[in-house]
Amino acid sequence: MTDVELPETPLLDELEKGPWPSFVKEIKRAAIEQEKAMKAGKKIKLPGAAKGLLKVLELAYKEKRTHWKHGGIVAVVGYGGGVIGRYCDLEDKVPEVWHFHTMRINMPSGWFYQTKALRAICDAWEKWGSGLTNFHGSTGDIILLGTRTEYLQPMANALAYLDKLYGSPAPFDIGGSGSDLRTPSACMGPALCEFACYDTLKACYEFTMRYQNELHRPMWPYKFKIKCSGCPNDCVAAKARSDFAIIGTWKDEIQIDQEAVKEYAKVIDIEKQVVKKCPTGAMSWDGKELKIDNRECIRCMHCINVMPKALKPGKERGATILIGGKAPFVDGAIIGWVAIPFIPENELIEKCCEVLEAIWEWWDEEGKFRERVGELIWRKGMDEFLKVINQKADVRMVYAPRNNPFIFWRELNQ
Amino acid sequence: MTEEVNKEELKQKVLEYLAKKPWQVRDLAKVLRVKKRELDKIVQELINEGKAAYWSSGSTTYVTTKDKLEEMEKKRSGT
Amino acid sequence: MVAQEVEKEPEETVEIKTDFGPPHYEIMLHPIIKKNYGKWKYHEVVRPGVIKRVAESGDVLYVVRFGSPRLLSVYTVRDICDIADKYSDGYLRFTSRHNVEFFLTDPDKIEPLIQEVQEKLGFPCGGTWDATKGEYGLSNIVHTQGWVHCHTPATDASGIVKSVMDELYDYFTDHKLPALCRISLACCANMCGAVHASDISMVGVHRKIPKIDDDAVRRTCEIPSTVAACPTGALKPDMKRKTVILDKDKCMYCGNCYTMCPGMPIFDPENDGVAVLVAGKISDARYPPQLSKVVVPWLPNNPPRWPEVVQTVKKILETWATHAEKYERIAEWVHRIGWERFFELTGLEFTEKLIDDYKRTPYIYASYRTSAAFRW
Ligand code: HEM
Ligand code: HEM
Ligand code: HEM
Ligand code: HEM
Ligand code: SF4
Ligand code: SF4
Ligand code: SF4
Ligand code: SF4
Repeated sequence: MTDVELPETPLLDELEKGPWPSFVKEIKRAAIEQEKAMKAGKKIKLPGAAKGLLKVLELAYKEKRTHWKHGGIVAVVGYGGGVIGRYCDLEDKVPEVWHFHTMRINMPSGWFYQTKALRAICDAWEKWGSGLTNFHGSTGDIILLGTRTEYLQPMANALAYLDKLYGSPAPFDIGGSGSDLRTPSACMGPALCEFACYDTLKACYEFTMRYQNELHRPMWPYKFKIKCSGCPNDCVAAKARSDFAIIGTWKDEIQIDQEAVKEYAKVIDIEKQVVKKCPTGAMSWDGKELKIDNRECIRCMHCINVMPKALKPGKERGATILIGGKAPFVDGAIIGWVAIPFIPENELIEKCCEVLEAIWEWWDEEGKFRERVGELIWRKGMDEFLKVINQKADVRMVYAPRNNPFIFWRELNQ
Repeated sequence: MTEEVNKEELKQKVLEYLAKKPWQVRDLAKVLRVKKRELDKIVQELINEGKAAYWSSGSTTYVTTKDKLEEMEKKRSGT
Repeated sequence: MVAQEVEKEPEETVEIKTDFGPPHYEIMLHPIIKKNYGKWKYHEVVRPGVIKRVAESGDVLYVVRFGSPRLLSVYTVRDICDIADKYSDGYLRFTSRHNVEFFLTDPDKIEPLIQEVQEKLGFPCGGTWDATKGEYGLSNIVHTQGWVHCHTPATDASGIVKSVMDELYDYFTDHKLPALCRISLACCANMCGAVHASDISMVGVHRKIPKIDDDAVRRTCEIPSTVAACPTGALKPDMKRKTVILDKDKCMYCGNCYTMCPGMPIFDPENDGVAVLVAGKISDARYPPQLSKVVVPWLPNNPPRWPEVVQTVKKILETWATHAEKYERIAEWVHRIGWERFFELTGLEFTEKLIDDYKRTPYIYASYRTSAAFRW
């Protein structure tokens, strides 16, 4: 039993039922335990925030509408992003959440943690905020959900000194929001996955460190996202969710362990499940040997996914860069398209930085307000973009050549 | 020497504009006919001096003066 | 009155530090992961939720995955840490779809771990798939903030996700699907959740233009920046009345103006709702990445459990699961059977609302290769 009184929330209570873990239980738990912790003498700056959220959310459920208003405040010295300002339009009824700003915290590459680090974040956020989090936001940051304007800087400081003040193995920094480089993210890559064709965690970390200024001080026409996937399975959805998608791939032959293939043949139907499913018909299997015509293989990963013990990406590894991926706002959704067919693994990070910097300079100069890079390329043309990134046109950038002859011969018409 | 004066003048002018409304630096650069890169630097200095501040829509970012920011936030946080 | 000397917190007196970046990932890696970094040989699915990873060195790591509600209190995060300390040497990982994973070296600990997580946290073990057998589990639903925190949502996020996952629970804990199926939700068409390339997605949609409260606009808004925020040029300043005028034919109900100006709310309890999209795909496997397509233009907001949305998603998922061949994701299945059959089998209605008339996406885009799958 608790001696903490919760507001009545008949609608939300319905969402405590059922087998899937309940976010309502989480909000209630924060409400109860934060109050208890305060009564036990812990320093809590924002008691009642989670309770306030319950009230606001119950009302939202009843009225089928949000009760949040946007605020533009960032209020962390030196930074122009990483805070999402929120005010509640029920300030008189629920003053506890009148301010309810969110902080985005830059996660470690691949979302790996030591418990010491997580506990330290929890301790700091129990003190300075609502005690509610998202692991993680959809960009990848740790989301700390709800605090007041005057606690933003102290919480940022708590994170910056999380090692000294809270015993974390390292401090944490604030992530991106607004017209800046958003927090880059990466699949687990070489840390756990045998398919990784380059070191996604390292690449992600390098970009994040090198572009701290771009991440923290928004100055572009709009947001810019970088995501690193170790192979074409694209577990972080880079192709669809980042302006600059780095997709691991290879150039030579798929490595085959014929003995292991035979082992698989005992448990699966290789002809039906693998050979017939190859999109280019690049494979054949005679019951003894699996053959792959690697000139036909388009590295789709299907056969490797099905027989991970027997097949491996080739040895000449690197990445394909896709440019322009984004959600539909404004000109429609885009899955990124090929900008650089191949960069060898050992040149990958340097080359990406060179290209990124060239793209940013061009986009910052030419881009209109709220124009993502993909949209700018549509407006200006691939020919101009290829000049910017110093690439030659390659048939791999398109599914098919154009179907009209209305070519702009700019060089003849200066 | 004159450059210094010009820069101070420009800074002052930028502050006047920022005091009116939140700006996208690229738009202000067009209005003031200066290079965006140059204005970026000036705006950053003003921010560091505590005279200007960021205002973020969540997806895009603006710059305004510290006072204007407080005024805007006060207005929108009230009911 | 003598002001009581307020004692400053250490966080209020430290020197401000910026641009030091996130922790280096290496210090966050379990020792076995660190030792075998980049040297993993293969993986095997032990049971739903448990993947055995074998390194070239012979080391073995069991990665055990649990679904989380994404919105977590720090108290639950501490419980997760306790469990990681007990079973996983103090290390853990979150996945890109809000799942949490523990690393075990001793297979005998797997069952006790699953039991303890179920008892203490109520998180189900699952969310994996076995590509070798062609048997797939459903992973967690990627989603956004909704009424919990955002100002432009046309629907809630967490509540629908909870309701859908309650209904599809067994698909998470078991491998009963013929292929991968990614479900996502974004609470407005800004699509923070970037649900535009998922097998099934739910998107909050506004259907009415913002309601301009002239008085509130005068009190709270910057008129020039509000006008400039509109991506379609639907807003004009009304200098005389110190407010804005909206051209309803140009408005795409995006809510950008509401971000700038609290005086013109976009929400509308009766007309907001949820659209359902299908047949998006991101990986290159077999079939190139695809954008999701709208198959239900609008369903009402019916909190707390959104039965219409839940049943539509379930219907689509189960129709596909019954009819698809092994490895055939929704996009591939529809490609084989055709959209005619899709609407016939699912019983969804095809209406004029599903025919594209948003003219802004350029036609050229169709020829760009949205995939890393090509011949050298
Ligand atoms: C004008 C358009 C947009 C506006 C005004 C906008 C605004 C916002 C706001 C205010 C939030 C914070 C939500 C909260 O914490 O309460 C947010 C989150 C986010 N936005 Fe947007 N957004 C826009 C477009 C987009 C687009 C096009 C994308 C994707 C390409 C995107 C991706 C995200 C992501 C990933 C998050 C984090 C959401 C989460 O983790 O729950 N946004 N956006
Ligand atoms: C992996 C191999 C394949 C890929 C990547 C592929 C890709 C595509 C794509 C992208 C379209 C455009 C359809 C749309 O917009 O949804 C299409 C159309 C079509 N494909 Fe395939 N396809 C493949 C294999 C096949 C095969 C094997 C067949 C038949 C034997 C086939 C028959 C068709 C037909 C008939 C259409 C036209 C459908 C229509 O207009 O209704 N495709 N294909
Ligand atoms: C009537 C028959 C077919 C049609 C209409 C068709 C149509 C298409 C189209 C439109 C694409 C472009 C992909 C895209 O836009 O996403 C495509 C790609 C592809 N098709 Fe087909 N296809 C047919 C048959 C086949 C067959 C029989 C195969 C192989 C068995 C095949 C294998 C592929 C492959 C591998 C790709 C991807 C090629 C690449 O990206 O390099 N298609 N197909
Ligand atoms: C060694 C094999 C693989 C490993 C270790 C792996 C690992 C992962 C992990 C850990 C995630 C995040 C999952 C989650 O958050 O629940 C993920 C997501 C994903 N994986 Fe993989 N995966 C593998 C193979 C595949 C295959 C075979 C495909 C496709 C055919 C694939 C496509 C995806 C996609 C599309 C996502 C989700 C991206 C998104 O929509 O957000 N992966 N994978
Ligand atoms: S994208 Fe490829 S390398 Fe990265 S985790 Fe997924 S399957 Fe592994
Ligand atoms: S990776 Fe894909 S294209 Fe290449 S052989 Fe395997 S199944 Fe065929
Ligand atoms: S999808 Fe829309 S409503 Fe939902 S969090 Fe993002 S901006 Fe807000
Ligand atoms: S909702 Fe969007 S399109 Fe409509 S007026 Fe507002 S900003 Fe413009």
